[in-house]
Amino acid sequence: MDDRELAGLVVAAQRGDGLAMAELLDALAPAVGRWCGPIALQDAPDAAQEALIAVFRGLKGLRDPAALFGWARAITVREAVRVARRAARERPAELADLPAPDDPMLAVDVRDVLERLTPEHRAILMLRDLEGFDERSVADALGTPVGTVKSRLSRARDNFRKGWGR
Amino acid sequence: MSWPVTELDAIRRLRVLGAAVPGAVVAETTIDAPFEQVWAVAADLENELPRYLRDVRSLHITRTDGQRLEAYTRGYVGLRARFDIVLRPGWCVMRSRFLLGAMAAVPDSDRTRFAFLAGVHVPAQRIAAPALAAIGRRAAPRALANFTERVRLTQA
Repeated sequence: MDDRELAGLVVAAQRGDGLAMAELLDALAPAVGRWCGPIALQDAPDAAQEALIAVFRGLKGLRDPAALFGWARAITVREAVRVARRAARERPAELADLPAPDDPMLAVDVRDVLERLTPEHRAILMLRDLEGFDERSVADALGTPVGTVKSRLSRARDNFRKGWGR
Repeated sequence: MSWPVTELDAIRRLRVLGAAVPGAVVAETTIDAPFEQVWAVAADLENELPRYLRDVRSLHITRTDGQRLEAYTRGYVGLRARFDIVLRPGWCVMRSRFLLGAMAAVPDSDRTRFAFLAGVHVPAQRIAAPALAAIGRRAAPRALANFTERVRLTQA
């Protein structure tokens, strides 16, 4: 689907066209699944469903159809963190912090590494390593100051290495 | 490095659509029949749909282009409606000028999770949503019960 077709679907869906909403759902679902997987882990299907509901309920507020995926990504990350935090309260687990992008453990078992992180750190990791964002873009996507992202990354890497070194 | 990815199954997609369309209602059940058998009934719109949607007297498909279909329905009071349809295994969405209907099915070992969506397009849809939902709350479970019965009859 090219950008023009996608923009047409967004406009039709904003007008309440159910068939256009269904086609837009087909276009968005793979990306939402890719964003939710690393953040919400076993709760990712719930997170993806809730993220897409939030996306469609807010669709009328999207002024520029070309911004669809960036806008949907911000909503999805927020919803995935919320769902994962809610699930974590029900399943308390030991938490560690972020690995460096070149940490060899990432190549061994990314899921095992992700399970040791908080949902917020998983979101940073996904945006930085999967989406290729720099620290400023990560901060924008999460609505967090750049300094906070930098300090979390730095502290997290130290903690993560200590955790694996034990 | 392989990142975990999740897929949204057809039932979850239908829930999203139900939440997105004001006044739409989704009814879900588990049918004691394999997916192939359930979807054979769902996909046979011309023959089966008038049997489980009792307000529809007939449905004729007039155009097919891959997953996209065009169909005309006739109701018992003579009303005709043109529907644009997307139909593929486990997923069907039908939209006319005033109606939105959808079906989704997901295999669940040797059973099938199945869901119906019923919605209406009207002006001031958000304001009318409670009234539309009341209509859907009657229509969707009734269609689901009729559909389940059709699957049972095809098993016999």
